Amino acid sequence: MAEFSVIGKRLPMVDAPEKVTGAGLYTDDLALPGMLVGKILHSPHPHARIRRIDTSKAEALPGVRAVVTGREFPNKYGILPIGHDETAFAVDKVRYIGDNVAGVAAESEEAARQALALIEVDYEILPAWFDAEETMKAESNWIHDEKPHNIEKEYHHNFGDVEAALAAADVVRSERFVCPEVTHAAMEPHSTLATYEGGRVTVWSSTQVPYYLHRTLSNVLAMPMEQIRVIKPLIGGGFGGKSEVCPLEVQAACLARKAGAPVKITYTREEVFYAHRGRPQQIVELTMGATRDGRITAVKARIVQDGGAFCGYGPVTILYSGALLGAMYDIPNLQFDGYRVLTNKPACGAMRGHGTVNTRFAFESLLDMVAEELKIDPVEIRRRNLLKPPCLTVNQLRVTSYGYPECIEKVAARARWTEKKGKLPFGRGMGFAGSHYVSGAANAINRSEMPHTTINLRAEADGTVTLFTGASEIGQGSDTIQVQLVAEELGIDLERVKLVAADTDRTPIDLGSYSSRVTFMAGNACLEAARNLKKKMCEALAKRWGVPVEELESRRGRFYHRNGTGKSMSFEEAAAVSIEEFGALEATGAYSPPKEAQGGKFKGAGVGPSPSYSYSAQAVEVTVDPETGQVKVDRITVAHDCGRALNPITVEGQVIGSVWMGLGQAVQEEMLYNQGRIMNPSMLEYKVPSTLESPPVDCLIVESIDPEGPLGAKEAGEGSLAATIPALANAVYDAVGVRITSLPITPEKILRALREKEKKKAAGNGGAP
Amino acid sequence: MSLPPFALLRPRALEEALGHLAQHGSEAMIIAGGTDVVPNLRAGLFAPRALVDIKGLTDLKGISFDAESGLRIGALTTLTEIAESPIVREHYSVLAEAAATVASPVLRNMGTLGGNLCLETRCLWYNQSYTWRSSCGFCLKKDGDVCHVAPGGQRCWAVWSSDTAPALLTLEAELGIASPRGARWLPLDQFYKNDGMDRMRLAKDEIVTGVRVPARTAGLRGSYSKLRVRNAIDYPLAGLAVAMKLEDGVCRSACVALTGVNPAPLLVRDVPKALEGQRYSAERVEEAAQAVIRTGKPLKTSVSTPEYRRDILRVFARRALTRLWANGSGKH
Repeated sequence: MAEFSVIGKRLPMVDAPEKVTGAGLYTDDLALPGMLVGKILHSPHPHARIRRIDTSKAEALPGVRAVVTGREFPNKYGILPIGHDETAFAVDKVRYIGDNVAGVAAESEEAARQALALIEVDYEILPAWFDAEETMKAESNWIHDEKPHNIEKEYHHNFGDVEAALAAADVVRSERFVCPEVTHAAMEPHSTLATYEGGRVTVWSSTQVPYYLHRTLSNVLAMPMEQIRVIKPLIGGGFGGKSEVCPLEVQAACLARKAGAPVKITYTREEVFYAHRGRPQQIVELTMGATRDGRITAVKARIVQDGGAFCGYGPVTILYSGALLGAMYDIPNLQFDGYRVLTNKPACGAMRGHGTVNTRFAFESLLDMVAEELKIDPVEIRRRNLLKPPCLTVNQLRVTSYGYPECIEKVAARARWTEKKGKLPFGRGMGFAGSHYVSGAANAINRSEMPHTTINLRAEADGTVTLFTGASEIGQGSDTIQVQLVAEELGIDLERVKLVAADTDRTPIDLGSYSSRVTFMAGNACLEAARNLKKKMCEALAKRWGVPVEELESRRGRFYHRNGTGKSMSFEEAAAVSIEEFGALEATGAYSPPKEAQGGKFKGAGVGPSPSYSYSAQAVEVTVDPETGQVKVDRITVAHDCGRALNPITVEGQVIGSVWMGLGQAVQEEMLYNQGRIMNPSMLEYKVPSTLESPPVDCLIVESIDPEGPLGAKEAGEGSLAATIPALANAVYDAVGVRITSLPITPEKILRALREKEKKKAAGNGGAP
Repeated sequence: MSLPPFALLRPRALEEALGHLAQHGSEAMIIAGGTDVVPNLRAGLFAPRALVDIKGLTDLKGISFDAESGLRIGALTTLTEIAESPIVREHYSVLAEAAATVASPVLRNMGTLGGNLCLETRCLWYNQSYTWRSSCGFCLKKDGDVCHVAPGGQRCWAVWSSDTAPALLTLEAELGIASPRGARWLPLDQFYKNDGMDRMRLAKDEIVTGVRVPARTAGLRGSYSKLRVRNAIDYPLAGLAVAMKLEDGVCRSACVALTGVNPAPLLVRDVPKALEGQRYSAERVEEAAQAVIRTGKPLKTSVSTPEYRRDILRVFARRALTRLWANGSGKH
């Protein structure tokens, strides 16, 4: 077992002091002299052609400095190369209630608000599509002309021989699961401050992806990237909602350039719901075949995903939903038919556990149903279907480290599974489920051969080291982990590592904080950069001491000559010597996923492959009130395999946060729509759990030590979300004997199911026993 | 969202406040804790020319009790003060329980009893931004001419969402009202109109100064049950207050009032008839529960369905009456 100085220690996050004292600056805290307020005019119609926009009255209003409409910035953009269907403002059509029609920059919020009311828009109302299954039947009035029948993308994957395996199976179960749209509800509403000065645009923005924002601004503004600078201040939570370019980010830049003054836009909470990009509604029809002894022989999934009005990350979401049926259990035959469709609602996108969550709810629920039919304990059936890594799954995902078996055993023991499951009194129950997630995508969405992340280090003569990273701290702890890794590798104190992050003028490219990629990818690049720095220092010392460089080594921040001269030097001295020898002491590290982790060659094979997967197992214990249907979650036991816990505090924070977020989706969160109108666009009516609904979470860490992860680490931020939902559904079934297949699992649904069960029982009593 | 422009008036005495109201008439609006008024101002639901901030009327603050005349609570007393008051908890437990369920601790620290008793009615189609409301052509209650909850009707069903009102109804409270014409006391159950648009009998030049609760309802057994998705923050999807008096297991008085399901807090009129003079039985309780769901008429004004809210009202009634009555022999 390796001995570490700062790795594996329970260290507070490096940005904690400024956050807890309130000294830290988020985008909305920033202000510049002469700054204007930006406001957006949103569409009141779900689908309409814009016949005419008249902004003259708004422009004439005192205090108004710029008004922008779609035709001025018509360049299309989108996070995926295959999905450039958005513009800064609607050009010819509006496609959802809340779509962006025009922007105003004014000297006060009140003037901006009044100006919005003075913009005259002549709409031709078009028929609108709200239902995922209905929209595919559309013969006309398509949301995007180039997408017939409102189908954005469909994928059909078939591995092995599913039909033959189902025909031969001892048991086959099918079920339809409905998972409505949910949203991130990050504490910080999106905010962007943009300036246009000396021919350059600078943008401070609440983004998880500064590099993609940089590229998109270049495209929309038709300016070279060198004339644009993107800076990410502190972020108050992203969860995927800031992982693609949001309308206000380009709008603020358009307004700033036109006004020639700084413009800040901060969304109202309602606008956050319009910008959305949350987890889409999915209808998951799942079929599972198994042998009598509980071995899964085939899985077939048809998933229809309601993506809203634009492409966004949609194709990635639907592909994850199918691809990550693999890499969890050993499934020899697998079929996936996925449809990502367009509707006249806010666009969906990536949300924590991207694409995997609803499928996992369906899968782990259905697995329990199969287990019950076969009279096999739910934990036992999971044991019988484990992968045997290292291996390649049937859909060509490479699995290396696999702590899932240990997660299962740890949770079962801690939650006292065998004592409790099926043995608690009516109204109380325990359920079990597993989940997993990628440690970054093995294939970049920008389809580039350049490294996914690059790290620069620069050492000063006093031995301090500055870490330049493009990676985006969004509250998940990436700054802390990178500092820890560099300090560990160099053998210096944490305080000696200064961090400069996420500023496109100063830091190298990192693809962004999404798909749980930062620890794995930036982490590996940090280690490589630190090793390269030490190598340079050894070269300098070899020269100074007149010995061969091969005879030098460094341990715990000191450099030694191995061959008996007894020469040694501290890190500080060696840094000074290196600068004397070379003029500067700098090093670079980079990370690209290995070729063998990049998946198969079929259409859509690019999504799902990862250099490594995290695993999670959970047991949820509930009390259900059979008269009201209300569920109280008594306790959740979770074990997460994060490879190596580089900092157990941040691992636990991420795992508990994931569980809590999963719990919200499981029992109470849902975006309610009426004719394309979000009925609950507020933190009052969108029911994120309060502290009072948050149960004790017993968090266990499993360390599988990944062969390719930085010091063995892999992801910790998302993989535990998905299991919470089916574990809770399975617990409700254990408690009161009703299986809820649509989310959220509300008291009303439970009550209705209990009544139907009573009715059936009463009807059954008339006939045979 | 910015606040619309208005003049902020900060009177130091009741007469001064009444003067402001008399001067500005329907252009004026009273604000105390601001927990209801401010979000509605931001959503553009109110556009008063003058906001009369009455927090400076310190005489309207405080709780007092004596065995002869009962309880008095000033309108500016905060919900936290009521929930934590030993007097209220000892003598009028249903009110303390109800006050403790309002919103969250920070909002209870700001929110006042007067504000809670004059709360604006609520509806998913009303408590939205201007942009949002414009997307459906507005509604009967504000800027429009159609009710989206009960289309075709000319009545507004925006729901009464105060937690303290039903509790005070079961305690036979009276409301103190001041106006340039003098002070008066109005039984609380005559204050509400059961109309989502025009919710209460309070003239534009009047101020609610406080409540008084008679001594005869001190010491009643009481309970308040509240349906909500979260155990904090949320308004009631349905609420039920009970106050009853027992003598040797016989019900001597029983009062049930509802909130969150009608445009007013309502006393369930048939409950006393069903329970008074009776000993506990499941049948009596069921009769009362049936009366409850005849009175409570939830519609699609909230994120929960009317059917579920009715179901839960019945469960609340059964459980509350059973708990207070079946186990309640001896002391009243």
